[in-house]
Amino acid sequence: TICPNPPHMKITAKPFVSVLVFFPLEAGTPVNGNDEVERNMVLVEKLAYSKGLSPEAISIMLEFAMSLRMGTSLCARVLKCLIPATLVPQEAVVRAVVWLSVGKIPVSTQILFIKWVLTVFDMIDAKDQLRAVYGFIFNFVTEENLCPFICHLLYLLTRKESVVSCSMLILFPQGRQPFLLSLLSLYKVFCPEMVMLSIPSRIKSGFRNHNMPWKSALIAVQKGAGPHVAAGISPASTTIKTNPRKRKRCHLELPVMTSVVSKEAQTEPSSCGKVVPLVQLHSFAQLLENMHRIELPAQMGSLLGSSLALQYLDCVQDESALLRLNFWLGYALHEEFLFCGDRGASQNSQEALPFLDRLLSTQHFLQEGFSCSEAFLYKFLNVWDGSLLRPQILGLLSNIPVVPSAQIRQLLFEPLMQLFFTSSLFFKCGLMECLNNMLLKWLTWHSVYALEDDLDISLNSHTSINMTLSGFKDSVMELVDFVGRLASLGLQLEGCHSLLLSFVLDFYETVCDMFMKYGLPLVVMPPPGVFYPALFATDPVSVDRLAYIMHRWGLFTSCFDNAAMHVQAFHISRQMVREFNHYIIVMVNCLWNSKMFQLDMGLSLGEDLLLKSKVPQYWASFDLVHHPAFMSYAVDFHHRVMLAWRKDMDLNSIKDSKPWSWYLEFLVSQGYDGLKQFVQSNIGRQQLPADEG
Amino acid sequence: MERHQNRYNSILLITLLKYYFLKETRTPRNNVVVHRRRKSKSYRLSYRSGLGAADSRLGWSPALTARRLNTSRKAAGISNIAERVDPGQLALLVKTEWQLSYVTPLHQFRHTQLKSYARQLSAFIAAGKQQGLAVEVEGLQTTFRVSFSLVQGMTQSDEDAESVLVQIHSKRLFARQDEPQKPVWSGWLTCINGNPDYLRALPKDFVCLPLFGCSGADGLSALVKSWFQQSFDCCFGLLEISHTSLQWLMALWTNCHAESGIQHLKMIWTLPAAPPLQVTYTVDPEDAWELWSSVRKGKGGGGGGEEEEEAGENYIDIEEVTSFMQGLKSHFYRHFRLDLSAGSLNQVSTALGSAKYSGRMKISNSRYMITTLTLLTECALLKMPI
Repeated sequence: TICPNPPHMKITAKPFVSVLVFFPLEAGTPVNGNDEVERNMVLVEKLAYSKGLSPEAISIMLEFAMSLRMGTSLCARVLKCLIPATLVPQEAVVRAVVWLSVGKIPVSTQILFIKWVLTVFDMIDAKDQLRAVYGFIFNFVTEENLCPFICHLLYLLTRKESVVSCSMLILFPQGRQPFLLSLLSLYKVFCPEMVMLSIPSRIKSGFRNHNMPWKSALIAVQKGAGPHVAAGISPASTTIKTNPRKRKRCHLELPVMTSVVSKEAQTEPSSCGKVVPLVQLHSFAQLLENMHRIELPAQMGSLLGSSLALQYLDCVQDESALLRLNFWLGYALHEEFLFCGDRGASQNSQEALPFLDRLLSTQHFLQEGFSCSEAFLYKFLNVWDGSLLRPQILGLLSNIPVVPSAQIRQLLFEPLMQLFFTSSLFFKCGLMECLNNMLLKWLTWHSVYALEDDLDISLNSHTSINMTLSGFKDSVMELVDFVGRLASLGLQLEGCHSLLLSFVLDFYETVCDMFMKYGLPLVVMPPPGVFYPALFATDPVSVDRLAYIMHRWGLFTSCFDNAAMHVQAFHISRQMVREFNHYIIVMVNCLWNSKMFQLDMGLSLGEDLLLKSKVPQYWASFDLVHHPAFMSYAVDFHHRVMLAWRKDMDLNSIKDSKPWSWYLEFLVSQGYDGLKQFVQSNIGRQQLPADEG
Repeated sequence: MERHQNRYNSILLITLLKYYFLKETRTPRNNVVVHRRRKSKSYRLSYRSGLGAADSRLGWSPALTARRLNTSRKAAGISNIAERVDPGQLALLVKTEWQLSYVTPLHQFRHTQLKSYARQLSAFIAAGKQQGLAVEVEGLQTTFRVSFSLVQGMTQSDEDAESVLVQIHSKRLFARQDEPQKPVWSGWLTCINGNPDYLRALPKDFVCLPLFGCSGADGLSALVKSWFQQSFDCCFGLLEISHTSLQWLMALWTNCHAESGIQHLKMIWTLPAAPPLQVTYTVDPEDAWELWSSVRKGKGGGGGGEEEEEAGENYIDIEEVTSFMQGLKSHFYRHFRLDLSAGSLNQVSTALGSAKYSGRMKISNSRYMITTLTLLTECALLKMPI
């Protein structure tokens, strides 16, 4: 039988399984001309060099190669592509060592194998079994060509016990090569009485690095795999520590999760009896089972790498644990974005992007921002150019908890204002969205926790300083005011761009629901700089959304009338009510009554000026028929309905009572529910548009 | 299109200016951050506690008060440090040039466990040196003996934790018994006059020793740092000595001239010319002292030794430092028509010590060590992420 090769095999996300099916073959399959083997080899090589091979894959491939099932040529080829992605299973190495002694493998390939072991030595998951066959490995010392490499391997494996147990003073006919001396010197350290040789106190380094065939590939794979590996769910998945000397700036790397047992064992030997290191937990069930005796890892930063650990962090009550995490995280952020200035420009995004993404997803998972990222942002906003990693930074920003009103200006508004006015439309939209999210989070947080206490008492029970409800309201008020100012000026700068307008209206949709949805008794009207651009927008959606927002406010004020008991808490000034009524009147007069530019409307233009503009019936130019946003609907409606009655095109004819109500229905059928609700709540059904003329 | 281009240019300029500003003052915010965070935490706390949920959340952080370099500091008085600190340790601290780092607070560090730390660190170094791929086998014939020791008598206030000295000696494998061990690396962790509010706000299981100095092979420094990181969950970052701090050091040292001669006042400036111009500016000690005295005159503190008795209240203000620098710069300008304000100060040195922007520092006279270390502790605390 030639390779039972599954036809569906291709490089996908999980190609190992299918490829590897083919490798444990029977001996004696022909190699030459076997296209299947060739194809599979290419596949494996491609994978190995791009992503590295999983521990299981290493096992299978190593077994396949060393057993010489398909001859010696393939063996070397396989060895050359054994790039581990994470770890090398010890068993596989031990088995391969056993194959060495079978003796069919050419010496060059044997050397290649030992070199490979030396290269991946740090990635072998445990060394105990290898040490158990120390004597066995030692036997290869007598093979002249293998000797240097075997010596190096032994050097790495040697423990005091191994020297004693092997009692191997037979030793070394070959003379005093440096590699032998190095090994011997080690033996002499452990058991001076057993090595009679005098060894010069200064010997040249006996071993060379033999990692040439794999070095570059390993580095490449490790670089690529770093975040990928860390993303694994199990906390046990260890990231490979890259050599700190190769990478100068490694502060963004998550530390490997390790238990503190080694330290504890020496300091308090009795106390570590029953704790379970977080590293050893692999499933949520295990986590629950051991909840009461979990030991935090040595470096809290490693928690970010595993969602299981985050579950634990979410309910852990350990103040210093969180502080440790904050110190690490804050350190990484500061070093990367604030202190790095002179030490090489940021090779950023490559590492910073996944790091920030991870931080963001952690914060989303915990539904809360870290205080260190907050402290970092207050500094970073002053130096940010507004484009570096914009989505991530804005994401972090939207997570910050409520800022007291006394500081909010200096910490947030001043830097944001500078950024806002010097940046593109795109940034302006992004910032609006961010501030909207921030407000949403503050409100959600309020609505979840405020229920606990009475509304207007100080929310504190046992701490000295606290934020009262009115303090919270002040902060929200400041934020809404700030956005109002930004939006007014931003809309002006960008020529009332409808994209920006849409983000601004998003924000006000949140604002108008502050009481209805989140129970915060606060009313803030949009400033004229937002209201009028929305009312006179050229796209119907904006007008519709404005109508919806005004409708929601209407609901709220009626609520306010009914619930007299809340009046105290609401702090609604007469001014606010007047403002609201004014907006309603303007909207109704504009859209409905065709009474633009009346004296009491606040939009006063000289009569002569209006006449000079030569706009016919200027008072009607923003009603639902002539409004630039709805004109096309009016024309459409006229074509469909009115032409049946009259021959000429006269949009004013829509304003007659019957067609008017049909026209409204037509608009509603186009999806303008905001308008519908606005009309229902603010305009009596029987009311008709004023007949002008 | 062109309009956009122009706008971008101006944005770039603004950003640069802002950045420059930040670097100068490092942390432009004062104490507001603190109160705010405390508040928001307690708001949360009060809610949370009602729910019976976690008592402390991610929002905790210690109260940081002064987030800006002090604008006034005590002039260096002669301290009797030589009487309190072990002379051997003092000699080591004084004769070496140190590379400085800042360190975040150490978790579960115990001054009583130093012996065990020494053992763990030497094991850690041995393990690090044995790794196959990462470290070359060079130097394997030596082993390292680590010692931790307490530097008693250094602390200035009750909040300061005792300083710790770490030394690594190399031991050749086949050395004779009597062959002396060679010191190959040393380093220390200290906190002198650390901001008491910051230190008090830390929970009990943290020890704050924010200033770390080391000297020796980089490989060993990296190993020691990573051992500290893994054992006490702390982080090490390079501590640069900023322009302002360098000027402070100059003033503090010059102020000591009457008691112990500074011999010379040397500055190295880098000017942004193409190619970059390095200016070494050495001032005669008497001239420097005269200039400094004239700057101090206004304060009534005066120069010389006549105010020995009021040394306790002898404070120096940042204004005096600035005008001292201004005097030096304008003198230089008169002679060479080069305005040093355009450049950056990279290095200062006197007979009392030297400091470089890169974070290398040497204290040559133990009598003024405390003042210098106080300034550097302050710089290190300013680098703390929270």
